[in-house]
Amino acid sequence: MGTTNKSSRRRFLGNTAAIGAIGVVGASQLIRSCSSDSETSTITVTEPTILGTAIDGQPLRAGVIGCGGRGSGAALDFLNAGPNLSVVAIADVFQDRIDGIRGKLKEEKGVELEDANCFVGFDAFKRLLEVDLDYVILATPPYFRPEHFQACVEARKHVFMEKPVAVDPVGARAIMAASKQAEAAGLCVITGTQRRHSWNYQNVYARVKAGMMGDIVATNVYWNQNKLWHREKQPSWTEMEFMLRDWVNWTWLSGDHIVEQHVHNIDVSNWFVGTHPLEAVGMGSRLRRPTGDCYDNFAVDFVYDKSVHMNSMCRQINDCATSVSETIRGTKGYTNGEEFIWDADGNVLYQWESPLNAEGEKIQNSPYVQEHIDLVTAIREGKQIVEAEETAKSVLTAIMGRESAYTGKKVTWEDMMGSDMVLGPKGELTMGPVDIKAVIPIAGSAPE
Amino acid sequence: MRRKRIKKSKWIFLLGMLIAFLLIFLGNKAVVKTSTDEYCNSCHVHPHSTQSWKRSTHYDNPRGIQVHCVDCHLPPHGEGYLLEKAKTGIRDVWANTFKDSASFNWEEKSQIDYAKGHAFEISCIYCHQNNYPLGLTKEGREAHLYYEQQAGELHCINCHITVGHYDPDRLHEKNIGFGNIETADAEVFTEAGEVDGFNDFTEQIVGSAISFDMVAIPGGTFRMGSPESEPFRFADEGPVKEVKVDPFFMAKTEVSWNEYLAFFKQTGAQGKTADAYLNVVNDDVDAISGPTPPWGAPDQGWGKESMPAITMTHHAAEVYCQWLTKITGKKYRLPTEAEWEYAARGGSETPYFFEGDPKRYVKQGLRNKLFGVDTTGINSYIAYMENSGARSTPPDLRMENPFGLVNMLGNVAEFCSDLYAEDTYATYGDGVVSNPTGPGEGEEHVIRGGSFRDGADRVRSAARDYTRTEAWLKTDPQMPKSIWWYSDCLHVGFRVVCEYDKTITE
Repeated sequence: MGTTNKSSRRRFLGNTAAIGAIGVVGASQLIRSCSSDSETSTITVTEPTILGTAIDGQPLRAGVIGCGGRGSGAALDFLNAGPNLSVVAIADVFQDRIDGIRGKLKEEKGVELEDANCFVGFDAFKRLLEVDLDYVILATPPYFRPEHFQACVEARKHVFMEKPVAVDPVGARAIMAASKQAEAAGLCVITGTQRRHSWNYQNVYARVKAGMMGDIVATNVYWNQNKLWHREKQPSWTEMEFMLRDWVNWTWLSGDHIVEQHVHNIDVSNWFVGTHPLEAVGMGSRLRRPTGDCYDNFAVDFVYDKSVHMNSMCRQINDCATSVSETIRGTKGYTNGEEFIWDADGNVLYQWESPLNAEGEKIQNSPYVQEHIDLVTAIREGKQIVEAEETAKSVLTAIMGRESAYTGKKVTWEDMMGSDMVLGPKGELTMGPVDIKAVIPIAGSAPE
Repeated sequence: MRRKRIKKSKWIFLLGMLIAFLLIFLGNKAVVKTSTDEYCNSCHVHPHSTQSWKRSTHYDNPRGIQVHCVDCHLPPHGEGYLLEKAKTGIRDVWANTFKDSASFNWEEKSQIDYAKGHAFEISCIYCHQNNYPLGLTKEGREAHLYYEQQAGELHCINCHITVGHYDPDRLHEKNIGFGNIETADAEVFTEAGEVDGFNDFTEQIVGSAISFDMVAIPGGTFRMGSPESEPFRFADEGPVKEVKVDPFFMAKTEVSWNEYLAFFKQTGAQGKTADAYLNVVNDDVDAISGPTPPWGAPDQGWGKESMPAITMTHHAAEVYCQWLTKITGKKYRLPTEAEWEYAARGGSETPYFFEGDPKRYVKQGLRNKLFGVDTTGINSYIAYMENSGARSTPPDLRMENPFGLVNMLGNVAEFCSDLYAEDTYATYGDGVVSNPTGPGEGEEHVIRGGSFRDGADRVRSAARDYTRTEAWLKTDPQMPKSIWWYSDCLHVGFRVVCEYDKTITE
């Protein structure tokens, strides 16, 4: 198969080491096995733009809402993305989280935050948005995302927000609409779906889109891992504090693990297929999770248009088979998304290889930093990027699977676009008792 | 000679140029002249169009922008402006010259389906390019998302009908105050109406000052459906079956706004927008939760009180009957289709319960088109297309049928409890069918009697029709759509029946 690379534009901005790698990247394109000579076709690959660091430009002042592990991580990732970037304000519901991120920023980057720019409480995000900021990082549990994102858009801030962006259909649709507002207002938004910003996935994707493995006919996506973390309730904690600190185990806060974690893989499938599924039939249960009301395993058959299926599995149970991966199958071959494209017989058509630096070592690309590199560059170049709607669709896909598993019924995209489901306690949130009963959904009915 | 000819043709050429120039110049002048608001308003005679435009946001807004007739009622320049202008121009000149503007049915022409043809969506979008401006409300964002999901099926004016011509009765917003009519000094019933054997009685709605008449309909056997020889008959009206119906009581008139609002006030507002299929639990199954506030004005500004209640969903009508059952201690429900037709016929086997030929009452056929529809017989009994002015009418304008019921045919179409199937009658066995209740399976429910929108062909006793749930909820912006109010159906209401409890007389 005479696959020729007619691509033209390759840009690799960054430090000298990265620039030195260009030639090596070019060479890696040649490592292509061309085994099948039965068919000759030519594809045109639009090479992805790969940046080693954000371009310089206007200084960007960032605020962080949600300062737990991910918020602190994202703040550092942002500061590591390029020059002229600063974190100037933070907000969280817990004082110890505020203290934690201040310590981390000081220790690792020498950043000292003013007391006046550190906000605590459920409404801390509102006060943070009154600070002079360009860029807001949203890293609270996803339950809060739709409200926070809307507030950021109304305040005309560029946004980096973590997936998932919602826990229920109303929230997902709110993100879709706010995303359109952000687009109309000229804002840039990136959403924590880091596979879309990884060099390896981007290069594989470019070739799949160019037709290297034909039209996509099926996908398999997995996030089967050991148990995730949980917190035991402390006597001094109110119910709300316990739930917030134990949030990945509570559906109203996390959306359950199919939404919270597995959405990464579901999003890869939607990205490659180019749309969202139309319906889902799923199953799942809770076998060993110690706290909260989430399941710990799901298996869902999603169906796209033209009967293209996405087979999805996710599990968080110790000592079981594990896999965090995707397989995407086309009419002429298949790929694992992250490295290889094979032809239908299993011969390698393409393999991603990291570019090398001047010393001949592979450049380590952190997709977490890359998201900020891409976002900062988009802002500074004035080339708008808004990912929120796409991500909201992947999140709504995951919610569709979850609801099918919870109810045992087939759930359609139309159901999701028309559902008024809102999770979480009614009324204003306070650090007290929470009006949520830990009811584990059980599908179907018992035999009579 | 040759020179002369050249010279002559040169002059002809120049003259042609001049004429062409004049034509273009004058034509352009004419197009500009005939596109002014003043020019439009010089002929356009519909009531209040100028005033309602000046009260709308397209004239009266804080930015001081005035949007002119042609900006909405013609497509933008370059998008078929001149062609459409020519078409409407010819039509308007014709109508202005040969027609009497008093005969125009403005009510009908202002309905969405008609208005869509005269307000160009492409013109809306020409100015309104951003559906998601900052500051747009949550409801607005949801609604625009829905609009984009329904690509091509919704026109901007499906929701924004009043933005060009203001109409307080058609605002597209949640009508929280709907039905809050003070009934001062009225005596409130503390007991339900009394039934004295199988006789007509007056029902009293406990906790309100509202009462209504119930008519005792004796049981009997009748021929349900219409023979193939009946004019305008549809296949679903046959085959004709002998049907036996037990005695029951039926409301003399269609459920009025007075009656329906008593229900709305006692049960409504807190009613949930039920998310029926997901893990939402209804904590309070015993209490009847009634309608949520409607969207817009369900009565269309046609009046409430004794006017028939309209636009409630079939589900809402059923809940109304449950509520009436609960507060009166009797057994109220929607009529079966058989009960409905039996009551409507009142012993007749003709197209209507009075003497009359459907062919004379419809605007079909050369004679009727040339000489007009003769409505003398039908006018005293039926509110339909040719005499209704495209809106519902109060019950006291029409005469009773042989059972003493009013408006069984026409006015508003009425829900039955049966599901609809085209072949319902064919599935009934031979011989006398006793108290049939329909096919038991199906998506939509039977509606009967036709309405103010129908021609005489569709208000016959045997004519059948059915609900169109999806189409009737097309522009409901709520998620999920209301289970209480149809957003896009004006012509449907219902009447109740009360089951006859034989233990009272035996």
